[in-house]
Amino acid sequence: MTGLEQIVAGLEAAQVSIVASVPDTWIGRLMAGVRLSPRLRAVDVAREEEAVAVACGANLAGGRGAVLVQNAGLLNCGGVLAGLVELYRLPCFFIVSLRGDHRDPVYYHAPKGRVTEETLRAWRLPHARADRRGDLAAQVKQGVDFCVESRGPFVLLISGEDLA
Amino acid sequence: MTARKPLLDALVAMLTSRDALVSCLGANARYLPHMTVPCPVFALCDAMGATIPLGLGIALQRPDRHVVALEGDGSLLMSPNVLATVAAAAPPNLTMLLWVNGRYESSGGQALPAAAVDWAALGRAAGVGHVASVGDVAGLREAFTRARAAGVPALIVVAVAFDPDEAIPPYSERPDEIRARFRL
Repeated sequence: MTGLEQIVAGLEAAQVSIVASVPDTWIGRLMAGVRLSPRLRAVDVAREEEAVAVACGANLAGGRGAVLVQNAGLLNCGGVLAGLVELYRLPCFFIVSLRGDHRDPVYYHAPKGRVTEETLRAWRLPHARADRRGDLAAQVKQGVDFCVESRGPFVLLISGEDLA
Repeated sequence: MTARKPLLDALVAMLTSRDALVSCLGANARYLPHMTVPCPVFALCDAMGATIPLGLGIALQRPDRHVVALEGDGSLLMSPNVLATVAAAAPPNLTMLLWVNGRYESSGGQALPAAAVDWAALGRAAGVGHVASVGDVAGLREAFTRARAAGVPALIVVAVAFDPDEAIPPYSERPDEIRARFRL
């Protein structure tokens, strides 16, 4: 099973119902896998803040939402994280492509790579890097379950290597 | 131009127990706890721009409910992209009411950027399937009835008077209370 297939399997196993997304190269590949699943509804949104609110709406309505965006998009989401997710204590699971770290040496991604994890710590967002050597499906399910139990966010950071 | 409260009263009177109501921050969110609303209400006190996508998520998750999202022109001006998102997702059970008074009412009534935005045209251009504009209670009643039956996402642009002396009640519910009470 590829990493991509494991992530999709994890979303299914976690009973995620709606996956809201703005693509980049890696997230776009992942969303192509999401669209193949009969159990996941892909929702294409225009900005990442919308994805957060769509996922929260799904959770409020008894489902489970997930947000799939690039780290640039996550950095857009400070306001909606504070004013919706944290304020109302809503589960919100993110899969975020970590562009610009040492595994992704692209000059225009590098500034995002430098600040993403520091920003997550400053925002006090629980997060982890996906570990391709382990069971990615289990890591995804664990992240979704953590959101539900803690009534808050969790961010799973992925690299392009994780999809192979 | 019609005042806000008669319009909100008329809307609430048309809701049923099978609906769900989502409100942006500001006057509507502050009035609603003092009104008898027959359906679950989720009112924001921050997060400008989140109302419509929040309603979209609820509508997609629960197609058996008709979701009514109350948004303000200040909020939509900073996130008009959501109109295209709604058009693409095309939930038949989502009606958006855009309250247009040209003001950031919840922060003191400051004016929006001085542009005569044609909200109905913007909605149509984004691909929203059913768009109407109203300016009084009778118009709202007719437009809401048509929107609910449209079978496509609907946008109703509601022109509402801005009254700096309007006695809007303060926020009276905390987010944890709002979330706990919102049961579909």
